[in-house]
Amino acid sequence: MEVQSEHASGEIKHLQRCINDLISLLALPAIWSGGDPSQVLHTLLDALVRMLRLDLVSVRLTDLVGGAPVEIVRLAELRGRVPSAHEICEALSQCLEDDSRKWPPLLRHLMGEGEVSIVPLPLGLQGELGVIVAAAERTDFPRQTEALLLSVAANQASIGLQEARLLSHQKRLASELDQRVVQRTAELATANEELKKEFAERRLVEERLGQEERDLKRSEIRKAAIVDSALDCIVTIDHEGYITEFNPAAEHTFGYLREEVLGKHLADVIIPPSLREKHEQGYARYLATGEAQVLGKRIELTAVRADGSEFPIELAVTRIPLEGPPSFTGHLRDITERKRAEQELRRSQAFLAEAQHLSRTGSFSWRVATDEITWSEQLYRIFQIDRDARVTFELICTRIHPEDLSVFQEHIERSRRDRTDVQLEFRLQMPDGAVKYVHVAAHIRGDHGQPEYIGAVQDVTERRSSEEALSKARSELSQVARVTSLGVLTASIAHEVNQPLSGIITNAGTCLRMLAADPPNVEGARETVRRTIRDGNRAADVISRLRALYGKKEPTIESVDLNEATREVLALSLSELQRNRVIVQQELVDDLPLVAGDRVQLQQVILNLLRNASDAMSTIDDRPRDLLIRTEPDDDDRVRLSVSDVGIGFEPQATDKLFEAFYTTKDEGMGIGLSVSRSIIERHHGRLWAMPNSGPGVTFSFSVPCKVEGLTSDSARDSRTPSVSDAA
Amino acid sequence: MELRQERRAVERPLVSVVDDDESVRESLPDLLGELGFAACTFSCAEEFLESDCLDQARCLILDIAMPGMSGPDLQRELKLRGQEIPIIFITASTDKSARPRLLEQGAVECLFKPFSDTALLKAINKAFHPK
Repeated sequence: MEVQSEHASGEIKHLQRCINDLISLLALPAIWSGGDPSQVLHTLLDALVRMLRLDLVSVRLTDLVGGAPVEIVRLAELRGRVPSAHEICEALSQCLEDDSRKWPPLLRHLMGEGEVSIVPLPLGLQGELGVIVAAAERTDFPRQTEALLLSVAANQASIGLQEARLLSHQKRLASELDQRVVQRTAELATANEELKKEFAERRLVEERLGQEERDLKRSEIRKAAIVDSALDCIVTIDHEGYITEFNPAAEHTFGYLREEVLGKHLADVIIPPSLREKHEQGYARYLATGEAQVLGKRIELTAVRADGSEFPIELAVTRIPLEGPPSFTGHLRDITERKRAEQELRRSQAFLAEAQHLSRTGSFSWRVATDEITWSEQLYRIFQIDRDARVTFELICTRIHPEDLSVFQEHIERSRRDRTDVQLEFRLQMPDGAVKYVHVAAHIRGDHGQPEYIGAVQDVTERRSSEEALSKARSELSQVARVTSLGVLTASIAHEVNQPLSGIITNAGTCLRMLAADPPNVEGARETVRRTIRDGNRAADVISRLRALYGKKEPTIESVDLNEATREVLALSLSELQRNRVIVQQELVDDLPLVAGDRVQLQQVILNLLRNASDAMSTIDDRPRDLLIRTEPDDDDRVRLSVSDVGIGFEPQATDKLFEAFYTTKDEGMGIGLSVSRSIIERHHGRLWAMPNSGPGVTFSFSVPCKVEGLTSDSARDSRTPSVSDAA
Repeated sequence: MELRQERRAVERPLVSVVDDDESVRESLPDLLGELGFAACTFSCAEEFLESDCLDQARCLILDIAMPGMSGPDLQRELKLRGQEIPIIFITASTDKSARPRLLEQGAVECLFKPFSDTALLKAINKAFHPK
């Protein structure tokens, strides 16, 4: 009995241990929780070795997570020797096939010096996870409980491994997910950045677009304002020639309202009927060939207003640079005024040129600083210089008369220096030797920086010739006057001479008779001879006075006593005056200053005034024919001589004419006397004038300076100096 | 008035001379005396008109142009007074055109100075012996 009980108690112990082991195994998953497969295997193997007193246990996992197979081996202390892991694996792979269902539950394998019992346990339902191999040298291996523990352990391991694997897989997935999230996040951040950038760019673009749009709009407004307020007419047409724009200036110029003409054909609106065909041809040609005769040019043509009136315009057509069918903008300007101004300018220029031509006057400008000289056309003609020639002083000097060249150059230099106005007369000599007289008048203009002379040059050659001719004529006239005067005075002269001659002849006749008597009356004869001599002297005096008056040709300057000169003239003409019943009264002031002049010329003037006075009274019978001649000192160191009559006088308006040559109030006069008299007095720097008396008649007066500075012997000898007096 | 009475010829006819020229007044009376006439001279017409000679003169030698009353004026004056004295005009003027008119108006002669003694005698004779 004891054995039996002993056995029973062992059995119980064994079962208890088995239950404990079983519980340990069942507790393993709690340990494994959260662990990885290798951890599961290590703990499992350790537990199995310890529980079952195995000599060897190994586990091989086929594929955990797509990685290489894992083999873990636990060896107990084998007797005498320890087989290598490799040796075990080789033995296992020889006896185990791939299919776990074909595995034997137990196999015996010789290993080392002994035989071992090997139990393969598939992991997973069909060993898909791997295999656990438990081996022991014991022969009783595996007992029933051990087999149970092994299969439970394998199941537990399968579950643990599955879980670990799942966990691992989940972990991997989570990690992958995390990684993906991180990656995605990074991608998103990048994308976000890009978006931000893009957004910023877009905003920039939008802003720019907005600005451009605003600019465009502003530009449009500005353009519209320009178009609306433009002085020029601005008309826009589309590719078919229909009006699309018509600004206020155009409305004003053409007399249409914008609304009236928009959409109408340009040709029908502003092109005169006569030009419409041409316009349309040109437009058609342009559209067909792109060849335009008017584009980009300013052309002048005729336009028509709403009321049908035509007027000149200037037109500039530009193509609007937009895509699509061509359209055009025309800038039109009413140039009626300009045309008229141009015409007037042309006419004015023509007038000026003609006037310059007729008056032989050229004009010029001279910029002093640069010696830039501009000539009018007429000036080229006067100088006989080619129109294309550049005018320089060198060129001008080639035309100046050699004798006047130095004077001319002196004037130019003075003008350059002093910049005062210029009055100058000089001669030109043409290449053919012809001489021209020119008169230059110029005044300075412009500021000090750019002074410019503007002047005129007149060809006075003809006037010069006329003056010379006039001077000659005057000289001839005065000669005529003198001769005429001589003729008219013949009676007076004869009278004066005949008086003493008569005495001489009578005395001589008486003398002869006295001497012929018986006895001769010698005493009487002597008396008559004495009287003859006296009368002869008297006659000689008359002759010498006449010679003084008419005989001398050369004027001479001397100191003249006007009283004395007057008395001599009176002596000559008194008898004639008396015969004309003129009562002469003299008021010759004492101590009259002497005057410088030509005595004979002054006497001619006095004689002329006396004769005029006498003639003016020839028809006066109702009152004494009183003539008053007086001399007196005048203002400004002058001496005045006046002759007053009580004659018929003259019309007040005739005062100016009195002194003109050939003006006369007398039936027989030539009207030279006063004219010549005045020129004589003027040569003496004096003045001759006439004043109506308060009573009847006129007073003629002249006043001459006591000292005549300007009357040099040169000018006094001038052949042009008129001499003589009246021609009655 | 100058009156020259020739003692030898008390009966000599009186000739009056009116002239403003002194030479004439001095020279003519001597010549007239040689020719057998008595002479009295006056320097102007007015003087003559106031003198006694107005009635006595058988002939008047009269200058044409004189200050104041001229020769023809005196002629008219004498005619108005009824004094029919033969008049011989003398003149220094060379204007011959005056002569026919003067003769027409009754003058015996018109002599232009200077004239000869015979021309004067001839004129006086004509005055004393009218046709």
